[in-house]
Amino acid sequence: MGRQVCIASAGFSEHASKRSDVNMPELVSEAIEDCLKKVPSVSVNDIDAFVNGNMPAFEGSNIPELWMTDWMGARNKPLMRITTGGTTGGSVAIGGYYTVTAELPGIDTVLAIAFEQQSQGDTSTGLASVAYGEISVLNTLGISYEQLTQLLSAGAAIGVASYQATNYMRRSKITEEDLARVVVQNRHNAANTWWAHLKMPDLTIADVLETPYISYPLRYGMVCPASDGACAMLFTTEEKAKDLCDIPVYVNGVGSVANESGVLGYNGSGAGQLDTSEQLGAMKSAELAFGQAGISFPRKEIDYAEVYSPFPNQELMWIERLGLFEENTASEMYETGVTALNGELPINCSGGVNSTNAIGASAMERPAVAALQIMGKASNQVPKTVHTAIGHGWGGIINLITMMVMSNKPTRKIK
Amino acid sequence: MSKRTQRKSMGYIKKDYIRTRTMPGSWYLSSYRFKFNITHFKPFQDKLKERKLVGLQCSSCNRVFFPPRLICGKCFVKPDRWVDLRETGRVATFTITYLKDLETGEVSERPVVLVQQDGSDTTYTAQLSPDVDYKDTYIGMPVKVHWAEEPTGGLMDIQFYDLVEDNSKDLELRKD
Ligand SMILES: [Zn+2]
Repeated sequence: MGRQVCIASAGFSEHASKRSDVNMPELVSEAIEDCLKKVPSVSVNDIDAFVNGNMPAFEGSNIPELWMTDWMGARNKPLMRITTGGTTGGSVAIGGYYTVTAELPGIDTVLAIAFEQQSQGDTSTGLASVAYGEISVLNTLGISYEQLTQLLSAGAAIGVASYQATNYMRRSKITEEDLARVVVQNRHNAANTWWAHLKMPDLTIADVLETPYISYPLRYGMVCPASDGACAMLFTTEEKAKDLCDIPVYVNGVGSVANESGVLGYNGSGAGQLDTSEQLGAMKSAELAFGQAGISFPRKEIDYAEVYSPFPNQELMWIERLGLFEENTASEMYETGVTALNGELPINCSGGVNSTNAIGASAMERPAVAALQIMGKASNQVPKTVHTAIGHGWGGIINLITMMVMSNKPTRKIK
Repeated sequence: MSKRTQRKSMGYIKKDYIRTRTMPGSWYLSSYRFKFNITHFKPFQDKLKERKLVGLQCSSCNRVFFPPRLICGKCFVKPDRWVDLRETGRVATFTITYLKDLETGEVSERPVVLVQQDGSDTTYTAQLSPDVDYKDTYIGMPVKVHWAEEPTGGLMDIQFYDLVEDNSKDLELRKD
């Protein structure tokens, strides 16, 4: 069922906190240009369909995909917008994969584009709009707005993540120093990635631990920035990809699983995730994607991983839950250099979301970087040969996970 | 359009506009009408007025939701059994907020917690008693409901949670 799908190329725009030199369509066209530059025989005219997405409500502009149609070269072609909050990019990438694997007549090559220009709008208004429904309900049930902002510690992802961090730290018995070590590795990696945002080649653990708390146990120096940026990925058929590039990257498995929400329940009810660092949804989506890709021992078969971790505790947590390391051993791996650029299983060599977070694009940048690592074209290329890699995305109220397993060989089990 | 023209035109966009102009504007979420079903909340709120806690149990997986939930996503079943809950609970997780007083500029630390009420299978955001020092908060901390002076049938009837003194030592003494 469904034909094999390959990633032929991926590209990025430059990321910064304020890309005021470009508007949204121009930002997107930068990423498309970088993507098509790597496959010289493809022009915008050869693309049969487009999938596009960003986080809604963050820039204060709706239907951006229609505004930027001409900038993408999508005029008079099938165009679809997908948006799923934090995992938007991951969902857009999966959308690109589905469009190609569906074998629709005349649709072989699909360009997937995810972007965010956070400086254009008000991120806190955007985030508030995400939780506004729940907040209204709790308010109706008798909790004052003042109290609520305090309870959710400024709402938003940071509030949810700090609860999760406390859970994870208790479960795996790690210290703040272990969290800072992850940040340092990411920011050093970002310094070697041309498109990354927070490049800090000289950052030390002590520097991170000197910054004040934003909400315990997360410090200002540990959290992701808000970036402007875009990412593009080119999906095509196996036959076409073989002509286009030296090493076509096969998409062997995808997963997108929503678990019960954590911290906030629905409509004022209790939240079902008792331990927000348990992450059954992540385990399930990994199981799905690895099952499709025929991977039984992720720890041995995966050579490279890009996980979605705006906060360092999440990076440690995801790589355990996705089956790359045994439970409670992740921080040890950072200490011993297993996850470093030249390590046995390098993690987030682009600097990860911790260094660059253009929300809508972030979850697509993960599989994009992983694919480029397999092709040997990544900006901060790992020295070893990468055969199989994963790109992971996270969003929602710590409950939605996207996964993409890629390899230089077709191993997909569903035929 | 030939491949060359297409390439060229994309570069053209960027070269011609060295700096894109910024136009300030404002965008508000001025009014909002969120719909939600409250039928399952009524008995819960009535009990709160009597200073009693009840959870709603799913008859399929036996999970108890506190506060109640209209649907159990695990079983796709409507929870329909009311169960009485004790006033005690445990801190499931916590974070510390750093609030700055706008007048004095003083930063005050406040722990905010998720409490799992004993007998329920869910957590909910709550506050600890002002007497509890933020440094003393930990996961698994035993807590007890502190009722508001005059319950009105809202979630704020649980004003905050008091710390329950650990009496395990007393128990050991009694054993002797
Ligand atoms: Zn159930």
